Amino acid sequence: MRPKATAICAALLLAGCAHSSVVLLPDEDGGHGEIGIRQAQGAGAETVLNQADSRATISGSYPSIRPLGAKGLKPSEAALLAALPPPAKSFTLYFREGTTQIEPESAGTLEQIRAEVASRPGAEVQVTGHTDTVGSDADNDVLSRRRADEILNWLASNGFARAMMTAVGRGERQLKQPTADNVSNGVNRRVEVIVR
Amino acid sequence: MVLRTSSERLPGWRSALRNSFLFVCAGTLLAAPASAEIGRVKSTIGIATVERGADKLPATTGQQLMPGDWLETGKDGRMSVTFADNTRFAVGPDSRIELTKFEYDPTTEQGAFVAKVERGSIAAVSGRITKTRCGGQTGAPTCGMQIETPDSVLDVRGTRFIITVPK
Repeated sequence: MRPKATAICAALLLAGCAHSSVVLLPDEDGGHGEIGIRQAQGAGAETVLNQADSRATISGSYPSIRPLGAKGLKPSEAALLAALPPPAKSFTLYFREGTTQIEPESAGTLEQIRAEVASRPGAEVQVTGHTDTVGSDADNDVLSRRRADEILNWLASNGFARAMMTAVGRGERQLKQPTADNVSNGVNRRVEVIVR
Repeated sequence: MVLRTSSERLPGWRSALRNSFLFVCAGTLLAAPASAEIGRVKSTIGIATVERGADKLPATTGQQLMPGDWLETGKDGRMSVTFADNTRFAVGPDSRIELTKFEYDPTTEQGAFVAKVERGSIAAVSGRITKTRCGGQTGAPTCGMQIETPDSVLDVRGTRFIITVPK
């Protein structure tokens, strides 16, 4: 019994899969965050994994942390990383004052959104309308929602299912450029589109 | 000052309404309409299922996910998933992952996400939810993003990482 069990343990250790592990990687934009590790039971002390390209192996009471080193990731881990969905992409469309008509220079952006949605299997589109501070809050809530609907309808007319899209209006609550009330501002008259 | 009326484009509206009606009908057959969608399946390979209560649904691209769902993959299975706060997961083979809790306010970009890796592996890029201001209480159970494994609790503070939990 015992030699056999030892052999299994040794095999598992060699395979490198005997213990849970966490690998901290650099963010896609270069920086990195951190991960606090605690034991499942009790209020034990926290170990912080805060060096990019390092691995915490969780066995016993405290995780042991080592740099990935020259060996790098295991092949299965590298494959998993490559299988991540692409990051969400954001677009901004600008509007003529008091209307749901986009500025001519936003026509190209509209086309980019269409291409982006088409390129993503199982895409989701989140459309958020905004206004500048001209007019009443109530009118701007309606206008911002209609701007968002205008874009959503255009995408639907290009063959995208409405089930994948949502539209909301935020009126003048989230100004891109803070201004006083009743100020016309082309940067604030916008629709933000997130394609995920 | 002048809003374009939608009446000049009535035919388009009509067909769009019909389309959305069909989608709503199809959707109610597949999913419990009561809870809010928290994310979607983006890709699957091999055996990949979404377990919701007593139901086991084969995972499909575009499938909506709900809080409490389990993601499960077979020996050669994989799937990838995105969440409403832009968190992204790739789930490796032979995995069982619970989406225990997901509450997110897209306006304030604050919320709580708890997932459990019972076995298997995930690669993840955390989203907006890890930017939640937890009032100095990092690690508080209902704030930001936590991943539970059978022997540990991981408090994720804005990063890209891989978790492996052997059987």
